Amino acid sequence: MGLLATSTGSARKRTLSAPAPALALVLASLALGVASPADADPKLLPPQEAFRFSARALDDRTLEARFAVTDGYYLYRDKMRFALDPDMTDIAVTLPPGKVKEDQFFGKVETYRGEVVVRVPLAQAAGKSVVLVADSQGCADAGVCYPATRQKVTLALPEAGKGPGPLVDAYPRKKNWFN
Amino acid sequence: MTPKLRWTLVGVAAVAALAAGVYFGMERAGTPASPAQAGAALAGLALPDPAGKEQRLDQWRGKVVIVNFWATWCAPCREEMPEFIKAQQQHGAQGLQFVGIAVDQADKVDQFAKEIGLNYPTLIGGFGAMELSKSLGNKLMALPFTVVLDRKGEIVHTQLGELKPAKLQSIITQLL
Repeated sequence: MGLLATSTGSARKRTLSAPAPALALVLASLALGVASPADADPKLLPPQEAFRFSARALDDRTLEARFAVTDGYYLYRDKMRFALDPDMTDIAVTLPPGKVKEDQFFGKVETYRGEVVVRVPLAQAAGKSVVLVADSQGCADAGVCYPATRQKVTLALPEAGKGPGPLVDAYPRKKNWFN
Repeated sequence: MTPKLRWTLVGVAAVAALAAGVYFGMERAGTPASPAQAGAALAGLALPDPAGKEQRLDQWRGKVVIVNFWATWCAPCREEMPEFIKAQQQHGAQGLQFVGIAVDQADKVDQFAKEIGLNYPTLIGGFGAMELSKSLGNKLMALPFTVVLDRKGEIVHTQLGELKPAKLQSIITQLL
């Protein structure tokens, strides 16, 4: 990977506006014989991007957590956990049903694709703000799995009777050339 | 393609190659990146087997060693292992040695190893093993990730995702 993946990655982004440098970069990579022994990997996203976590406070006692699962990726339902930092006790939530998949080793497992929305109740009034921690674990259809990934958002809690608050992204979208 | 365009492309390619070379050099500076160094880092690793006994990877030096980072919770990992079992059985006597590094719990590894009749050792690696795989090129720390070392202990191939049977066959043909 290393150079080859890096070069072709940036070349891909440039293809629309600058085909010649993109081609040159690919040629350059090939010409170098690229010292890295790895095969070029499929263009995989880091887990925070493949499984984008965001949340908002619906009111002073309820949070709403969301995972936006990128096409070509999936999350395991039974690996999803929520807690508040620094308490870190698992919060009991009702997870939506997933798609049932037969796993040779684990039997029936449920997976999520697309958007997953989960209500996270707060046991008691938690003050002005909370840090919601979400653990998730998933895989790419390309044939790799990621270890459990922890993501966090800090949410300001609305006053009782008010809300909801704004949606907060755990992994802010990068500005690129096209937006 | 006109000659002018061709030479322009060659020029651009040369500049890009230089830039890429510099970039690559910089990138390599921070990690044990030469095949020999990375291989040495891997060989020096000692991890417990499922019974809790420490095993050093350099005990297999002199063989063609295929180190496979995997986990029971990783379905694509489990799917490629029967091929490894077959290759170990067919080519073990010629000096092919698979070694698994499971990013997992010992009891689950043990159970799964029995279930599929694993015929090569698998060690239990924690987060440190994932960090090591990262330094070997597994930037996303995803699984499966496989590292092939030649008989000198140098890394000759790394693979994120399935090590395809054709690739495995070519490794066997070239290195054994």
